[in-house]
Amino acid sequence: MNDVIIVGAGPAGLSAGITCAKKGLGVLIIDEYMKPGGRLLGQLYEEPNGSWWNGIQESTSLYEHAVDLGIQFQLNTPVNNIEKLDQSWVIYTDKHTFNTDHLLLATGAAESPVPVPGWTLPGVMSVGAAQVMTNVHRVKPGERGVIIGVNVLSAAIAMELQLAGIDVACLTLPKLNKITKNAAQPKDVLESLLHVSHMAPSPLIRFGSKLMKNDFMKKMGVTFYPKEGVKMWDIPIQLRKAVINIYGDGEVEGITSATIDANGEVVSGSEENIACDFVCIAGGLYPLTELAAVAGCPFYLIDELGGYVPLHNERMETTLDGLYVAGNITGIEGAKVAIAQGVTAGLSIAENAGISGLDVDIQHSIQSIELTRDKAYIQFHPEVKKGKRILKEQWKEYERSVKKLVH
Amino acid sequence: MTEEEMIVCRCEEVSYEELLQTATKYNCSPRELKLRTRAGMGYCGGRTCRGMVDTVASTIKAQERTQISLKYQPPIRPITFGDLGRQDK
Repeated sequence: MNDVIIVGAGPAGLSAGITCAKKGLGVLIIDEYMKPGGRLLGQLYEEPNGSWWNGIQESTSLYEHAVDLGIQFQLNTPVNNIEKLDQSWVIYTDKHTFNTDHLLLATGAAESPVPVPGWTLPGVMSVGAAQVMTNVHRVKPGERGVIIGVNVLSAAIAMELQLAGIDVACLTLPKLNKITKNAAQPKDVLESLLHVSHMAPSPLIRFGSKLMKNDFMKKMGVTFYPKEGVKMWDIPIQLRKAVINIYGDGEVEGITSATIDANGEVVSGSEENIACDFVCIAGGLYPLTELAAVAGCPFYLIDELGGYVPLHNERMETTLDGLYVAGNITGIEGAKVAIAQGVTAGLSIAENAGISGLDVDIQHSIQSIELTRDKAYIQFHPEVKKGKRILKEQWKEYERSVKKLVH
Repeated sequence: MTEEEMIVCRCEEVSYEELLQTATKYNCSPRELKLRTRAGMGYCGGRTCRGMVDTVASTIKAQERTQISLKYQPPIRPITFGDLGRQDK
C-alpha cells in the first residue's frame, strides 16, 4: 500500500507528489498519458520579462525531481473507477488495483467541443490536439488550418502553430445555434478578449482595449469591427464572420464562412470558401471531475471556474475523508497556479498522514496560491477570483448543513 | 451539410435536429433527453457530447447548480470485459 496515490502527472500532481515525498511519504503517481507533464507539455509562450515558458522543460525538471525523490510512476494507465472500502481508497486500472489512505485527484481539464456542420470529418481536431501534435510530437497537423472559436487558449495556440511554421488562415467564430451560444456572439467574445489584450503584440490593440471598458464602446467596437478581422501575430482574428460548414470529400478541404451581424446572425449571400487541410475546434476547457463524481463528492456549477467543481476547502481537502483535489479539477487556471495548489495539497496530505508542525507551511502555501493567481499572465476566466469566492461560500454552506445533520 | 443534419453524438449518430425536437416536444431534462435519443450512451461514454446534450436541455430548463445533470458511472474509461472481470490474487 502506498502512503499517497495521485491521479494525474500534470503540474499539480507532480508538485504535490514532490511535496509529499520531501516529507518522507511513499508516493505513486498514475496517468493515462504516456508522458508525464499533462497539459503543461503543450505550453510555449513568451513572458512579459522576455523569457520563454517552455512546458516541456518545466515538465522534465518536475519529473526528474520526482524520480530523484523515489516517486513511482504508472504511465499509460487510465483509472476507470475509485471507491472507498474499509476506510481506504481503492483505485482501479486496467491491470492493477491500488490502495491508499490518501488519494489526490489532479486530473486537470478537458476541452469542450463546438458543433459545426462537417465537424466529424477527418482533419477536424480540438485545438489542444493540434497543440500536442505540434509541440509534443513535433508533427504538423497540416499545412494550413482554420481555428473555430476565439478565446485565450485558441489565441495562444494559434501563435504556437505559427512558430512551428504552420499557416493559420484565421481565428473565427462558430455559427450561432442553441449549443454555441455565447461563443458565437461577437460582443461576448470581444469582451472576453479584452481581458487578454495585454498579450497583444500591437500597442494599438493594447491601447484600443482600454477605450472599450464601457458597454457603449464595446457595442461600437463590434459594429465597426473590420470584416476581415484584426491581425494578432499576423493572424486575422475575425469576430464578424462565422463558419457555417466544414467541407471535404472524406477529409477536410476547406470551410465555408459567412459575415455575421453584431448579434451573431448570418448575413445571407455573404458566404465564401476558405481552403485549408485541417480545422481546430476551440470550445474552451472544463474541469475533468469524473472520478470525484464517481467517489460521491458534492459539486457546484461555477461558470467562472469552467463548470462543475467538487466542493473543497483552501487546504485542497474534499468533503470525503482522505480525498484531495488540486489543479484544474478545481477550476480552469494556468500551470503555475496548479503547481502552487499541488504544494498545498501535498502538505495537507502530509499533515493528515501524521507529520506534525506543518501548520505554518500550509498557511504560507495557501497565500502563495493567491499570489500566483494575482500574478498570472494568462487568466482563463476574468472572474476566476469571484468563482473561488462562490466556492468558499458553498463549502461553508456544506459545513453548516452537515453540522445540522449531526445535532 | 445543413445545421439540422449536423451530428452531435458521434457514437450513436444523433443529430442536432433530433436533440432539439425531442427536447422541445417532451420538455426534457438532460437525463430524459439522453434516454430518449441515446445521445451520450455510446461506447465513448458520452465523453464528447455530454456537455452539448446538457446545453440543449438547458434551453428548456436552466442547469442545476448543486448536482451534475448527467451522472458519471464507472468504468469512466473503456476497459475490456476480461480486465473488468478479472480476479486479483
